[in-house]
Parts: sequence; C-alpha cells; structure tokens
Amino acid sequence: MFTSFAKAFTNLFKKPQTIDYPLTPIVKDRDYRGLIGYGEEACIYCLKCEKACPPGAILFVPVENPPENKQNKKGLKYHYNPYLCIYCSECVRACPKPDEALWQSNKKPEVAVMDDRVNEGWFELEKLKKQND
Amino acid sequence: MKKIKVSLESVRDEIKSFYDYKQWHLLTLNGLALAENKMEVQWIFSKYEAMDEIVVYYTEIENTETIPSIVDMIPSAIISQREIVDMFGVKVDGSEKGLYLDEDSMQRPLSGCSI
Amino acid sequence: MKKTINIPLGSQHISLLEPVRFKFECENEKIISVDSDVGFVHRGIERACTTKFKFDAIGYVVARVCGLCAITHSLSYTAAIEKLLGGEITKKAKYLRILLLELDRVHSHMLCLSHTCENAGFEAMFMRIMGDRELVMEIQELLTGNRVQFDYINIGGVNRDISSEVAQKIVNNLYEVKQRVLGYMDEFTNNWSLSLKFKTIGALSLDDAYRLNAIGPLARASGLNIDVRNEIGYLPFSEVGFVMQTHSEGDINARNIVRLNEILNSILMCENILSGLPEGEIFTKLKGKPNGEAVVRFEAPRGELMYYVKGNGSAMLDRVRIKTPTFASIPAFSHIFVGENYADAPAILASFDPCLSCTAK
Ligand code: SF4
Ligand code: SF4
Repeated sequence: MFTSFAKAFTNLFKKPQTIDYPLTPIVKDRDYRGLIGYGEEACIYCLKCEKACPPGAILFVPVENPPENKQNKKGLKYHYNPYLCIYCSECVRACPKPDEALWQSNKKPEVAVMDDRVNEGWFELEKLKKQND
Repeated sequence: MKKIKVSLESVRDEIKSFYDYKQWHLLTLNGLALAENKMEVQWIFSKYEAMDEIVVYYTEIENTETIPSIVDMIPSAIISQREIVDMFGVKVDGSEKGLYLDEDSMQRPLSGCSI
Repeated sequence: MKKTINIPLGSQHISLLEPVRFKFECENEKIISVDSDVGFVHRGIERACTTKFKFDAIGYVVARVCGLCAITHSLSYTAAIEKLLGGEITKKAKYLRILLLELDRVHSHMLCLSHTCENAGFEAMFMRIMGDRELVMEIQELLTGNRVQFDYINIGGVNRDISSEVAQKIVNNLYEVKQRVLGYMDEFTNNWSLSLKFKTIGALSLDDAYRLNAIGPLARASGLNIDVRNEIGYLPFSEVGFVMQTHSEGDINARNIVRLNEILNSILMCENILSGLPEGEIFTKLKGKPNGEAVVRFEAPRGELMYYVKGNGSAMLDRVRIKTPTFASIPAFSHIFVGENYADAPAILASFDPCLSCTAK
C-alpha cells in the first residue's frame, strides 16, 4: 500500500505519457497499415483487387478518356475511397503485381471534412458501376 | 457435433431427461430460416471439460407455432429465447419482445421473409 | 405505500464504457431485483453476414463486432470456415494465431482491471494500468499493423509474418509487462482500500455458476473449470503451456486475481511461442465453397465465444450465429446483483468486464 502511495507521488513529477499532438507528430511504424497506393502504368486491369475488397473501396468504372494503357480494353479508371477502406490489404495480396500496381503505405487519410462531396461522389460511382454490370 | 431431431411437443421432456447441470451447459438457442414461413430451432449444449462435445437438439416449426420455454430448467436460456423472439418474430412461452428491437417493431430481420 | 424505489443505471452512466441499462429495484440500499436492457448498439451484423458479404470477406466484418476481442471473432469465424472447407493450416500459422490471441487477452484483462479500480474509486491505479497497457498495444501494432483492428487472420493462415526484430521487441515488452503485473498482484491482494471494495462483494457460488451457465473469468473465479482453451483441438494450447486459472471465492477480488494469473499465463505462452516458433509458410490456400454446418468455440477474454456457420455451397452463407460471452452471462450478472448494495453496483459491473457491443452485435 505504501509503495502505491510512493508511486502515485512520484508520478506527479513525471513527464506525461501522452504526446503533445498536433504539435508533435505521431510516429507511425514503417509497417503500419495505411492508405493504398496505385501505379497506373503497371496495372493490367485484371480487376482482382476490386473483387477481393471486402467493403468495396476500389471501383473500376468506365470513363470518357481512360488512362493510356494497352491492357485497358474496356476504358476503365481506378477509383479508391480512403474513407471506406479498412486497410486490410486484401487487394494487395490479390494483385498479381504487388508493389508496382498496388501497394500499401503507412499514411493516414486526410480529414474527410475538407473534401468535397465525399459520400455523394462515391455513390455516383457505385451507381455507374451497377449500370455497367 | 451430434444432432438430435425432436418434435416440438417432446422437446421439453427430451431436454429435461438429458440436461445435467453439472455436466452440460447451454451454449445458446439458434434459429435458422428454412423457407418463407418455416424455421429450424436449435438448442445447442456443450459438455464441461470434454474435447469438443457438442449436442444439438433441433426441431422444425411453422412461424406461427409457439416454442416452449425451458427457463424453469435452465435459467440462462431466457436471454437467447428473447433474442429469437426479436430476430425471427416467433413466439416463445413467457419471453417478450424488446431485447434488440423496439417492443412495437414490425421487423423480424433474420426470418426468411423479406421485411 | 410502496416500499421500494427503482433506480436505473445507464444507458449513459459515468461508470459504463458502453451503453447498457440496468433497472434496479432497491429497498433502502439493497438491490432486490434487476431488469436489463442490452440492445442499444445493435447493428444487425448477423444479417449483414448473410445478405451483403461473401464468405471470404466476413472474417473482416465479424472483427467489427467488438474492438477488444476482434481477434477472437475473426479467428472463430475463420476456424468454422476452415472446418467446412476441410483444410489444414500450417503449424506456424497456428502458433502466430495463439500469439495474437494471448496478447489480446493480456490487454483486454488489463483494461478490465483498470476499469474495476476506477469504479472502486482508485483513479491512480487506473492510470497506472492504462499506461502500462500501452506496452502491449505497441507490440500488437508492430505485429499486425494496427492498434485495434488487427485484421491479422485470414482463411488459411495469417496475413503477416513476424520478423526477428518484432519478436525481440515483443519479448522485451512482455518482460516489462510481467514485472508490472507482479506489482499489481501485490496491490490487489494487499491494498487495504481495494480489498474493502472488492472482498466478499458480488460473490457467485459454485452451484449458482453451474446453474446459471456462467462462463469465462466469472465462472473460473467461482471454481468452475470452464476454459474453452482446454476443450478444443484446433489450436495447440496445451503445447505452449496453457494452465487453467481458478479461484474459489467467487467475489470481485477473486475475478481480479484470476485475470491477473491469466495475464501471467498468457505472457508465458507468448514467450514459449516465440522461443519455439516453427519454420514454414504462414498461409495455405484453401479451395472450395463452404457447405454444411459447423459450431466453433473459442475462449475470448470474457469467456466462451461460439460461432455457428451454415453454408450451402455458394459464396453466400445461410446463417452466421454469434454467441458472445457477455450475452450468455447476463442471467448470471442479474443474479449477482440481487442482495448487494446499490453503491457497489458500478464496481461489480466493472468486474464482469461486460462488452456490450459484442452483446448487441
Ligand atoms: S486495403 Fe482492404 S479495404 Fe482497403 S482497398 Fe484494399 S482490400 Fe479494400
Ligand atoms: S489487382 Fe493489381 S493489376 Fe489487377 S486491376 Fe487491381 S491493381 Fe491492377
């Protein structure tokens, strides 16, 4: 019991355990699971990542002037929703060319409030996807 | 896992003769939507200190039938019975609605019919 | 005139981490009957599993049932699917699964212990345990890539391999945690103000534990030998040094001691795993679609967790039934409250370590 008194007393003079966020940035480990990155040139448009993604955070939808790529026969464009993604990295494991076409970084997404039409924009893409299936 | 089929009328007697409270414990009651208005009710038991010994009593019922309560034999069944009432919209003796859903809710999320 | 008064505890209450409502009927200070309402955070996960997601994604869905025992949920579901697909995973994957399972148990028990201290009015201890819990959270993050949602378990194995630096860091941190836990052990047994709040309060007798089908640390504190780790064969718990921890008193103090002993046992198991980690692959690809029924049980930090999965040979499942530990213990909780003082209710409640987001699914 007296040790706990002593501990509590010395704790008064210790530095706090928490860091002074946002003045001190949070250090993320190199292997932290964060945002998914995409390399358009290396992608072969096999759509495996889209199928593997549990919440459906990756969508390939047809657009007017699709990215230049021989493999891209249907004129699709990659879309990724960082606010839907759960960072499980299923997509990276499914991708035949990990690290070149699809990889996982250790970054967090921006705060969504700053973005315009976070939800509505994505719903439109989902609708477009449904129409084309 | 051992599955034993019983009839709705005999389920109480079967469980009564089987259940020894120092050897078995009730895991849960489970419902399973079979068709539009039919469901399977399961009583799942497991044995203490045995390697994965699980016994399931099951019966098939119409959604309109009333499932007998086993609370007088196994007090802890009350919570699973109330869950079944909520999720499947069936009647269980002495268990009222309102564990998850509102008391006057019309929904029965896990039954076969669409809401 | 009516002799009793009704006092609600919750749905929002200073002593609760999650919403639940108990309605106590009290006569002076004594509680004479209890009614509970647990469905405040119902999210319909069982239904979502059979209508929205394919079977290979559900492991990630059920992990969201609960933040504290996410790993047990995804593990139970995955084990059920592996049973239906009929594959065998590698030994290394099994060991890594146990490793994370036990780390999860350590941090969950620490959270519970700190919360009991807080509800007994011992804030300094709460801070201390929560601070030390960071040591475990840190290694979990290193191992899996996230603090809370580990997403570590996959149908067929685990998602990440463990590097030797991470293994070293885990050993170091666990050593540190062990020293701290031995310190708490002393505190919890000898501190006078804690024993005043904990000893002989909220007791559950062995016979009642049997009768009410109590599970987890709650039952083990009453002397009931129920630990699913002892009763299943998919993971080699006995190989890595699992020992069941029981106590005979059944009161709050007994539950705390059981939890402390379990932390020490879990740390021992983690150390054994890391020193004897087998070589090999961490992932085996399992083919096919689940067909048939499977019941799988695991020991979550709060007790026995059960998954019932029924597949019909297609990618969508017929039924996923989740029976969570707190859900099954609610009748026992209500029984314990009767006859206690209302003032002790928060401390008793915390000693159950209730997890309501599990309960309501
Ligand atoms: S990390 Fe998971 S959730 Fe995110 S895009 Fe990849 S598969 Fe989808
Ligand atoms: S899985 Fe990889 S290669 Fe295939 S479409 Fe996705 S990013 Fe492109």
